[in-house]
Amino acid sequence: MTRDDSDGAALPELDPVIHAQARLRVVAALNVLRDGDELAFNSMRDLLGMTAGNLSVHLSKLEDAGYVRITKTHKGRTPATYAALTPRGRLAFEDYTKAIRALLDTAGGAP
Amino acid sequence: MLEKDERPESPEEMLRVIQEQSAATSKRLNGDPLLLYVPWGVAWLLGFTALFLHYGLDGRPYAPISQMQGVAVLLVAQMVAGAVAAVGIVRMNRLVRGDSSIRGAMYGYAWSAGMVLMVIIGTRLGPLLPPEENGLLWAGGMLTVVAVLHMVGGALWLSKPMFFTGAWVAAVNALGLLLGAGWHALLTAVLLGGGFIAVGIRWRFRS
Repeated sequence: MTRDDSDGAALPELDPVIHAQARLRVVAALNVLRDGDELAFNSMRDLLGMTAGNLSVHLSKLEDAGYVRITKTHKGRTPATYAALTPRGRLAFEDYTKAIRALLDTAGGAP
Repeated sequence: MLEKDERPESPEEMLRVIQEQSAATSKRLNGDPLLLYVPWGVAWLLGFTALFLHYGLDGRPYAPISQMQGVAVLLVAQMVAGAVAAVGIVRMNRLVRGDSSIRGAMYGYAWSAGMVLMVIIGTRLGPLLPPEENGLLWAGGMLTVVAVLHMVGGALWLSKPMFFTGAWVAAVNALGLLLGAGWHALLTAVLLGGGFIAVGIRWRFRS
């Protein structure tokens, strides 16, 4: 794992899709789910403290990257949306977490 | 708003975000132990204390409580506990759908089946026994279902605390059954009633 020490902000090995606080939180929350489970959009909004619009935007970006699978369905007559990580998304989150830990180790700043 | 969210943070900050969000999510998905454990603890503490005062340890009651009054306290307290737990379970089930909901539903039916069978066994065989042994049949049978299903739940959700809670119920139940109705009620009230209250509170505030 190499890092450009001349510029602390340059972290080329970190996945740019996840390396943004809001999307990182979405992915971290979804990663807690077991395979085969989906999280309801409304509970996610609650859990993350985001507005519906904001969460939608982040979910679409994650869906475009192939990290998240969105299912739109109906619960009775009201539309319901569910989200889950794809295997690729899970892998990306694992890699990202490893990269962050490695960065902290090399910087000697591990908590 | 989006711009602020998009700004990359330091690795320390990002690791903290990951840890906090994962912990908060697990807490929400695993239900509130205060709703799931504490009401049962209170129900057993009240109900089995009443039964213990009726049985006594040497065959003499410690308080003028009839067996039926003791059973009534236990049943009412358990119904309240069941209702509170149902609220906790419904709250949990709203969040997620998929394999976990199916697993949870099957597990719930296993509880119902166990309890219904216990009622059938107690109703059929209880009247043949002396009153104290009849009480032991009901209480011991019910706690057997609780013990086994907690251990199975631990296996289903890979939860060691849940598994060991079940093992604890099994051990206390076995000891009480061997010692007799008075001891069974005392041990259940203190070690399981008090134990569930302690577990629920500790679990809630530790994570």
